[in-house]
Amino acid sequence: MAYRISVDTGGTFTDVVVMDSSGTQTIGKALTTPERAFGGMREALDVAARDIGIDLAALLANTALLIYGTTRATNAIVTRTAAKTAFLTTQGFPDTLVFKEGGKLNAHDFSKEYPEPYVARRRTFEIAERMSSEGTASVPFDAVQARGVVEILRQRGIEAVAVCFLWSIANPDHELRMAHLLDELLPGVPYTLSHQLVPIVREYRRASATAIDASLKPLMQRHIRGLESDLRAEGYTGEILISTSVGGIMQVDEVVAAPIHTAKSGPAMAPIAGLTYSRVENLGDDVIVCDTGGTTFDVGLVRDGRLVFNRDTWLGGQWTGNLLGVSSVDVRSIGAGGGSIAWIDDGGLMRVGPQSAGANPGPACYGRGGLLPTVSDAACVLGYFDPDFFLGGRMKLDVAAARQAVGTVATQIGRGIEQTAWDILNLASELMIRAIHEITTSEGLNPQESTIVAGGGAAGMNILSIARELGCKRVILPNVASALSASGMQYADIVKEETASLPTSSARFRYDDVNRVLDDLEGRLHRFLAGLGPHADAAHEIELLAEARYLGQVWELDTKLPVPRLRGPEDVAALMEAFHQVHERVFAVRDLHSPVECINWKARLIVRLAPAAALSPDVAAHDSVIPAASRNCYFGGGDPVATPVYAPADLHPGLTISGPAIVEEPTTTLVVFPGMSARISGAGHYLLDIGVSA
Amino acid sequence: MSTIDPVMTAVLANRIDGVVREMTTTLLRAGRSAVINSARDFSCAICTGDNQLLACAEGLPIHIFGSHMQSRTMVERHPDLAEGDAYLHNDPYTGNTHPADHTFLVPVFFEGEHLFTAVAKAHQADIGNSIPTTYHAAARDVYEEGSLIFPAVRIQRGYKMIDDIVAMCRSRIRVPNQWYGDFLAGLGAARTAERRLQELCAKYGKAIVKTFIKDWLNYSEQRMIEALRKMPKATLKNSARHDPFEPLLPDGIPINIEVEIDPAQAKIFVDLRDNIPNLDCGLNESEACTVSAVMAGIFNALPSDIPRNAGSFRRIELELKDGAVVGRPAFPHSCSVATTNVADRLVNCAGAVFAQLGEGYGLAEGGVGMGGSSSVISGKDHRYNDEPYVNQLILTNNGGPASPLADGWVTYGLPVVSGLMYRDSIEIDELKHPIEFAYMRLVAGSGGAGKMRGAPGSETAFRPKEHSVTVIYPRDGEKYPAKGVQGGQDGLCGEGWHISANGQQTRLANVAHVEIRKNEVLRTFDCSGGGYGDPLARDPRRVLRDVLEGWETVERAGDVYGVVLNGRVEDESLAVDAEATARRRLAAHTS
Repeated sequence: MAYRISVDTGGTFTDVVVMDSSGTQTIGKALTTPERAFGGMREALDVAARDIGIDLAALLANTALLIYGTTRATNAIVTRTAAKTAFLTTQGFPDTLVFKEGGKLNAHDFSKEYPEPYVARRRTFEIAERMSSEGTASVPFDAVQARGVVEILRQRGIEAVAVCFLWSIANPDHELRMAHLLDELLPGVPYTLSHQLVPIVREYRRASATAIDASLKPLMQRHIRGLESDLRAEGYTGEILISTSVGGIMQVDEVVAAPIHTAKSGPAMAPIAGLTYSRVENLGDDVIVCDTGGTTFDVGLVRDGRLVFNRDTWLGGQWTGNLLGVSSVDVRSIGAGGGSIAWIDDGGLMRVGPQSAGANPGPACYGRGGLLPTVSDAACVLGYFDPDFFLGGRMKLDVAAARQAVGTVATQIGRGIEQTAWDILNLASELMIRAIHEITTSEGLNPQESTIVAGGGAAGMNILSIARELGCKRVILPNVASALSASGMQYADIVKEETASLPTSSARFRYDDVNRVLDDLEGRLHRFLAGLGPHADAAHEIELLAEARYLGQVWELDTKLPVPRLRGPEDVAALMEAFHQVHERVFAVRDLHSPVECINWKARLIVRLAPAAALSPDVAAHDSVIPAASRNCYFGGGDPVATPVYAPADLHPGLTISGPAIVEEPTTTLVVFPGMSARISGAGHYLLDIGVSA
Repeated sequence: MSTIDPVMTAVLANRIDGVVREMTTTLLRAGRSAVINSARDFSCAICTGDNQLLACAEGLPIHIFGSHMQSRTMVERHPDLAEGDAYLHNDPYTGNTHPADHTFLVPVFFEGEHLFTAVAKAHQADIGNSIPTTYHAAARDVYEEGSLIFPAVRIQRGYKMIDDIVAMCRSRIRVPNQWYGDFLAGLGAARTAERRLQELCAKYGKAIVKTFIKDWLNYSEQRMIEALRKMPKATLKNSARHDPFEPLLPDGIPINIEVEIDPAQAKIFVDLRDNIPNLDCGLNESEACTVSAVMAGIFNALPSDIPRNAGSFRRIELELKDGAVVGRPAFPHSCSVATTNVADRLVNCAGAVFAQLGEGYGLAEGGVGMGGSSSVISGKDHRYNDEPYVNQLILTNNGGPASPLADGWVTYGLPVVSGLMYRDSIEIDELKHPIEFAYMRLVAGSGGAGKMRGAPGSETAFRPKEHSVTVIYPRDGEKYPAKGVQGGQDGLCGEGWHISANGQQTRLANVAHVEIRKNEVLRTFDCSGGGYGDPLARDPRRVLRDVLEGWETVERAGDVYGVVLNGRVEDESLAVDAEATARRRLAAHTS
């Protein structure tokens, strides 16, 4: 038997998915070991191997491909624990990382400190040089001054260097000369040049990406090389690929050279899983992917079978965090999850979050001293969790503590404990619904015509009530819901993106320059493809895109080129029409009179690597066989009702479960509310029905 | 106080907030002019059918009040109001901020009843004024100002455009295509809200929605009551002054405010009647701007999550004078510049007055004025066959005020926007205009010192690449700085300079209209924010950090903050000498 392994190392849990040659997936989970990722990974692999019925050595010996994703880079960025990094900037512009792009969340909040720049001013060095927007040197590169700066970097023990000069994208000469000096005087210290990493106009986002990438190099090189050697030491001889923010996978050398691409490596995989399972169940190419964890709720989209990308990914808060700057899969995160705390404010309104009980002390029901009522406590009070079989029996829940915590809020609003718990859960769902609304409306996607795919350990608790509120009639809870991102990696392809900046307008289109840029981008991708070794001959495609906007707008929209090269006015007209369509979809208006500006050009290579997922086979329908187990659960209104509880042994393809019911899987619990139902498909996924006729 | 449904109110408030945010996103991203998509000079709100402000998430502080007056004007002028209508309003005498803020009003009907009005307000890049600016400071009156005034005129009927209004605007407004793009974006935002609100009513039913409106306003009032009950009883006075504008206003504009806090009644009474009569220039405040600026100042001094709507506003009573610069304007006095200059001073004045209550209350003043970094520049672009260009730079970098809890916000901009706006990218500005920037950086030691420090000001310089560039700005904040409070020091004033080809620097007037030729440079310093509390009480670790980051100098650390530092910035060995600092601070206190 030949296996493929995918690993998603999160902040708390390491998820492993092992797929065999028949496409069957087995999950393994273990606690993450931050100091050396392989510890948690081996334990999770062990769990999966035992489930399959082999030992770890046999699993590794029969595996040809291992795909790895990690939150290591994100954690280092958010906690500022990456390398001691210097930022080299054009003389006169030392505050690019301080100013960012402006913007603030609450105009009247003067209690927050202005955020620290990603690289401190004390490690920011101005270099005497200046390129103009036309690519001419307004101030020549002063090699003597630059040498002096590099000498200071050496004395200060700088571990990584970010070089971002104004208009290096129009002429990279000065950045390249800086690189020569670094090679000569600081050999072995990694650096990143902005025009190579992310050749886009706008200095802050380019500088931010460059600083983040450089700062991650020492750390991620150690991390990934270390993991590689641990795997080899364990006897693994197959290929290792890394999942990236653009929703693809990359070779280790690529990632080590540009580690910024691992920043969203886990979350970016969830939409791939979403699309895969929607197609497996023949439920279409428009998908909303929700991932509910302990502290965050992530939403991503698939539109017309394509991932949705965004260049505005902030780590650590919109406007005040750090902009990733590279294009990545659009996955938005809000602070709402099982750990979110419910409270009553001084106007008498119920609130959920933004405070979270986190992992420690965690919800009151965890029995680790938490006293404040969380969403998980509410679900516990409602009877949705089996206190003796939580997380497959790995944890016992303290129901009395949960009731006491929820009771503190119930007293304040004069409602019963169960009713209050019901309210808390619904209010948490509301926050999640709004997050879904925001991402779908910004992409012009109608939730009612889309399929929801739910993942994350806490998803089953309220996905059906979320779907009902959205009016979403197609909902899937995959059988790998608790390891959705790791499962998505199994279906990911090699994706490589190249970008160039070349601003031009449809009113005076630079045909030759644009075509030359496109030639260059494609050339780079073909060279990359040729170097892919065993995958160089795999099926592949190249997508060409313009980041375009109406004259005067500042937000570009990705627009697919209708023709591979733009030869004449009719090609530009076709490109404009493509842009009008995108603009109309997103903003509901098109402006036929306005010229269209194209700012950046992108080429994206996709090398097909993933196995095709088989369609869900038809199975004979079974009526619900009511299981023996039952528990009192509360679903609003009157009293708790005796509710059947399905254990794994009760479940088989074709079964339809009518609500109210609780389905207990080892890593997740699905709540089927009264009037709703769940059917197990031929592929073993739960197809959920909100019970409202179309 | 009637009790509210704690859950249904929360659920529907979340939905309504989502609607306003969707409006905001639509307008921001579809908007065409830099004023909208870079400066974020727009806001969205929802009023009730009986013209009370219900929600205004993320709106600019200067826009928070008045949309209900605009919707009231719409209702009163149009007895035949119907579903499918849309209205344009920009009249500063019947509720608008200033004429440049075109406001799109869509009455939202459900089951035949007018339940809401969706309001989208956006500053236009041009409104057909007599000169090419939307801030016409010298305008003697509304006639000289010259904008088209729309007192809630119908622009759509039965969801169909009434082309006459569009045609009027197109034949008067400069760059009509850009205006039309923004017009569509504003209308689109209001129509988005209409759809969402109708869906909401269909889902929950009219009765629940109406109960929610009542509950939400009562809840907001209750939050305000709770906040005001915690304040001491006091009557406070504060005054401020806007810079002179030669030759129009040699003495500047005085501003006076009296605030009575009554915790027993849980009310604030604001008296603005002690202000001078309307001036024959564009600096008069509209009623909406007067009230918004005062409300913004008060909200700055209160817990930051109290909803801003008619409910919380019930607890603030204002007395305004008719025909005053700060108050209600008398027709035909011009309010062309109502949203910034005097309004900025008023926001500062109303927030800082609370600092008189003692440490922990109120906040310092923030930097004001729009100088060279937010000037309107024009000229010919040699790169494109000498095509003419005219545009406003959005690089304003006045420093924010210190509060009892935090240092000033660096990208604060102006009191009336309070950090919400976006900044231009230097590269984008150089791409769009034939100019090149020499520098843009924070200036060490410029922030108003205090236990909490005002944000530093910044300096910016640019030069034309080929043809000369005309730079126009009318700036406040060159004579009267942002004041510190509670022993905190004032910020620094703004300055503008014209540097000749041989390096000679000439200070510019604060109302500048200057031509910068090739090889010459325009340099500007933007104001810094005022400090809060005694600089000698500042945590030495904060002072150390400021010096390491180049925001303060070693000299000022000692002289102003009494903090003695050892070591060097250059090798990060700088450290606080705790004993020497204690001695120096003691000596400073006793001297």
